[in-house]
Order: sequence, then C-alpha cells, then structure tokens
Amino acid sequence: MVDEGSASELGAELIRVLVVDDHPVWRDGIRADLEASGVAVVVGEGSDGGEAIELAHEHMPDVVLMDLRLPTVSGVDAIRQISEDMPHVRILVLSATGEEQDVLEAVKVGAAGYILKSETRADIVDAVRRVHRGEPVFTSGLAGLVLSEFRRVAGKESAGEPRLSARENEILRLVAKGYTYREIAEKLFISHKTVQNHVQNILRKLQLRKRYELMRYAIRKGLDRVAE
Amino acid sequence: MAAINASGTSEVEPGMRGLWLGVLVYRWATFVWMAAVALALAIRQDLRRPGLALAAVLVILAWNVWFSLTAGWERTLDRRIDLGLALALLPLSGLVMNEEAIRNTLFFATSFPATAALTFGAGSGVAGGLFAGAALSLGLVASRAANGLPPDELTDDDWGVLFNGVFYYLSAGGAAGVVRRVLVRSAGERSLAVEEATRQREKAARLAEREALGREIHDSVLQALALVRKRGKELTGPSVSAEEIHELVELAGRQEQALRVLLNEPHAEPPEGMVSLRTTLEAAAFGVQGVPVSVTTVGPAWLFSTEVKEVQGAVRQALENVAEHANATRATVFAEALDGELVISIRDDGGGFDYDESRLSRDGKLGLLKSMKGRIEALGGSMRVHSAPGRGTEVEFRVPVRRGSDDG
Repeated sequence: MVDEGSASELGAELIRVLVVDDHPVWRDGIRADLEASGVAVVVGEGSDGGEAIELAHEHMPDVVLMDLRLPTVSGVDAIRQISEDMPHVRILVLSATGEEQDVLEAVKVGAAGYILKSETRADIVDAVRRVHRGEPVFTSGLAGLVLSEFRRVAGKESAGEPRLSARENEILRLVAKGYTYREIAEKLFISHKTVQNHVQNILRKLQLRKRYELMRYAIRKGLDRVAE
Repeated sequence: MAAINASGTSEVEPGMRGLWLGVLVYRWATFVWMAAVALALAIRQDLRRPGLALAAVLVILAWNVWFSLTAGWERTLDRRIDLGLALALLPLSGLVMNEEAIRNTLFFATSFPATAALTFGAGSGVAGGLFAGAALSLGLVASRAANGLPPDELTDDDWGVLFNGVFYYLSAGGAAGVVRRVLVRSAGERSLAVEEATRQREKAARLAEREALGREIHDSVLQALALVRKRGKELTGPSVSAEEIHELVELAGRQEQALRVLLNEPHAEPPEGMVSLRTTLEAAAFGVQGVPVSVTTVGPAWLFSTEVKEVQGAVRQALENVAEHANATRATVFAEALDGELVISIRDDGGGFDYDESRLSRDGKLGLLKSMKGRIEALGGSMRVHSAPGRGTEVEFRVPVRRGSDDG
C-alpha cells in the first residue's frame, strides 16, 4: 500500500463514510483505500439497502458510498429514504456495471454523484472528497443520460417543468465530452466555482423534475379515481 | 390456413360441437313431428299409401339412429346420403298423400328435409348449404308432380306454399354455413391471438433471463475484473514487471468493457436497415490500446448500415491517433443528433497542438487527418479540429441525418 501524503488534510476532520456493498471484498478494499488516504474514516459497513438506511440513522455519516444493486431494499430506494430523512448526508454511487438508467434514477432521488468501480483508488478518494465538499461528481456517461432526459422533456411541452438554460446545456455537453470542471472553466472563461454551481443547478432541476413526475402521476391517479 | 388448423382444432371444437348438437336436436324434433303428422293423417285416412309412409318413417328412423350414433355429419359421404334420403322423401310425400290433403292439410315430410340442408351447411359451408337447399327446393316442386299436380295446374296459393318451402330450405342451409364460417374464423383469430400472447410471454421470459444473466455476470466476472483492473494499476512496483502488470490491466479492462457493451445493449430496436449509433461507436472504441475510452450518446440515434463502415473507421482512426500521439489519460467519444445532423466528438485530455492545416500539410503530418476527413466527407459530412497546446484535442464529425431517423 502506498501512503498518500499527510495523515489528515490540513488538520481538517476526517470525512465520516458509510460503505454499502453486498460484496465483502469490495467493502474491505474501499475501507483500506479511504483510510490509507488519510482523508476519510469508515464509520460503518452495510451489505444491503435496509442496512444502509439503518446505519445512516445510527452513524449520521458525512458521505454514503454505495452500490445500486443490493439485496432486499434496492440502492435507489435506500437513497430515496436516506436523502429524505437526512438531506445533509451526501450520497455517492459506486457502481460496477454502468447500469446507467438506475444511476439516473438514483441521482433523481438524491444521489450527489456517481463513479465507476474501475476508477483508481485516487479517483475514488477524490470523488468522496469532492462530494463531501458539495461538488456534484459526474461521469460523461451520466451527463449524456441527463441530456437525453431533458431533451425528452423538451419534446413534451409542459408548463412550469424545469428546463436547462443554454449555459447549463453547454456545460452538461462539455461534461459529456469528458471535460473536467477545471477545463470547462478555462474554456468558457468562467470560474471553477461557477461551473460547479451550474452543475449543481442541473442536478437540482433533475430532482425537481422527478417531483413533477410524481405529482403528475398522483394527479392522474386522482383523476382516474374521480372518473370511476 | 394450415397453421390455423394445426393449432386451432381444439379452439374450433367447443363452438362446432354446439352447432352439431343444435342440428341433431333439430333432426330428431322434426323427425318426431313427421312421424306424428303421418300418424294423424293415417288416422284421418288421408294417406293414399299408408304402407309406403310407414316404410319411409322406419327407414328415416333407422338412418337417424345410425347417423346420430356414428356422428355421420363428420363424413362427406354420410352427408350426401342424408341429402339423398331427404330428397327422396319429398316426392315420396307426394305419392303418399291424397290430392286433397296435399293442398289443405299438413304436409307429410314438412320440415324434416331441412335437416339435410342444415347438416350440409354446417359441414361444408355456405355454398354447400345453399346447394342442399336448392336441391331440396327442386324436390319440393317434384313432390307436387308426383302427387299428380303438374306445375301448370298449380294455383297462386300453391306457388306461395312452395316458395315458402324453397325459402325455408335455402335459408336453413345458408344460415348453417354462415355460422360455420364465423366459428372457424373466430377460432382462427383466437389462435392467432394465443400465438401472439405466447410470443410476448417468450419475449418477456428471454428478457428476464437476460437480466438474470446480467446480474450474475455483475456479481462474479465484472466485480473480479474491475478489482483486478483497479488493484493492478496500484501494484506496479520494482518487484513486479511493469509490462506484465500493464498487460494484465489492459486485459481486464478490455474484458470488462466488452461485458459492459453486452449488458448495455440499446433499449430500442433500430428501424429496418439501420444500426444503433452507440453500438457503432462502442465497436470503434473496442480494443483501443493505451488510453481508456468512454462512449456517451444522447437519446437513441441511428446510422444507415451503409454508413457504419466510414463512421466507425473515422472514429477508430481518431482514437488511435489519440492513443499514439496525444499522451492523454483518457478519451471520450460523445455523439448526439442535433438539428438534422449527427454530431460525433472525440475528445482527449492530452497535450494538444496548434491546429494549422496548411502547416501540417507542409510537414507531411496531414495524412491521417485527411483520411478521416475523406471518410466523413464521403457521407456528405464535415470534420473540424479544436486543439491548443496543453488543452487537449477535440475532433468533431458532423454527418447529415438522412430520412429514417426522426430524432431532432
């Protein structure tokens, strides 16, 4: 194991992480990686969605790092529950297969980012750090999905439904093309922070969209019942 | 029709059985009625030849018993014999009855012969039913002649009675034929619907199987491969041959990517003669050595099969260029359908360069770029390169969307 610099980041407190994965080998690996980095400490390990919800309540972690394909309660359901109960807890999806549709759903119900299991240790640690800072962690694949999602909405006009601004579209497209936030900032002559804010807004609109979706569904159901 | 019969026989059965049972009940009811009328006429001494009448009733009784017990309606020959007997019965009625009686009282054979028309219709369709009805109608007219009443001596009332009978026989045969046709057709439709439902069920089962397979792969192979890839990158040290490890990492990465492609098959089926743009790009990115490539597309987009080779070739060349010269840590292929064009971009985070076509041409470095450009221009498209030292490179292909893709 390579030691990655100082034991703690500028004397800051360690990021408290809950790791949820049904494979012990992965949990062990992630724990080793995070703790060796000196940035984070693993406060709990869960193997399914139900445990994830319980442990989140018990430990109040800063970041939940979780797989989506979990036994009993699915990852998406667990994320929905955790972000409803504890909105301050950041959730980072760590997934092996790129099950993109599930990832999109997870982000809609409150996940703050997504990273592939095949990324290096440094990348995963960095993603935890960024998510903890409040920075949304995107992959180009996820950006592509979000673009598809908003384009789909644009086809079906619906008043009041959140849409992406031209700038947000541009930034999302650059993320999808593999540009980092820093590269986007340089390219568009804006600050790194501004790029982050735009991405954050895109996420918020995506989550808002989910709420609209649910509301429309509820209204339709309600009308059906009246019609009966 | 063969297919319908093969799988639809059991579907025809319930309706057809009902039809045959109805015809059989009619057969016996009208036979009993005929026998009763004969008996009444005999008692009133209105029969010219009671012996012949008795013989006819007995023959028909015997035939009906045989026909009912052996399901004679199912055999063409028996149906013909049945019609023959019914036909014979009509002129025979004329012989049996008095001249007075045939005009003023109930007719001997009355409605029984209609059974033959019904049987014919139910057994061989509308045409068969009408044919039997027409034959019986002729028999009815012949019965008057047999009774000693030639057609020119018939009164208007007599003709009315005859036409009534003719209409009766024709409509019985025709109606039974129509019922048969409806039964067969709806059975056919039902069996088609059953086939379609079976196909849907099979499709759902295949999808479920595939999903289960995907989960299985996820749990074993992908986990292991991703782990090897991740750990492999960290294990590189003086004690292990770096090249060896690198090879392992590359192998694992390729396997993982191949499985990923397999699992993430496009959700929508491409239209006839077209191929998913995503699949094409995944194929172009597959096995590129030296730089990890990710492929991202927006929404479903299609390419004509004839365009696949050029697009794939151009993207592949761009990626190999990145792998060889860019010194990049990653490359991304991004594509979307935008305002009637497919926009495909290949972006890397490598060293970048001053893109100046005329200088590159002077330095003899334009070859590969020209080849890519040629491929895309052959499809009526265009190529652009954005690059600057230290800023990576983005190659953008734009290909016009021809009819067949409705993605805007």
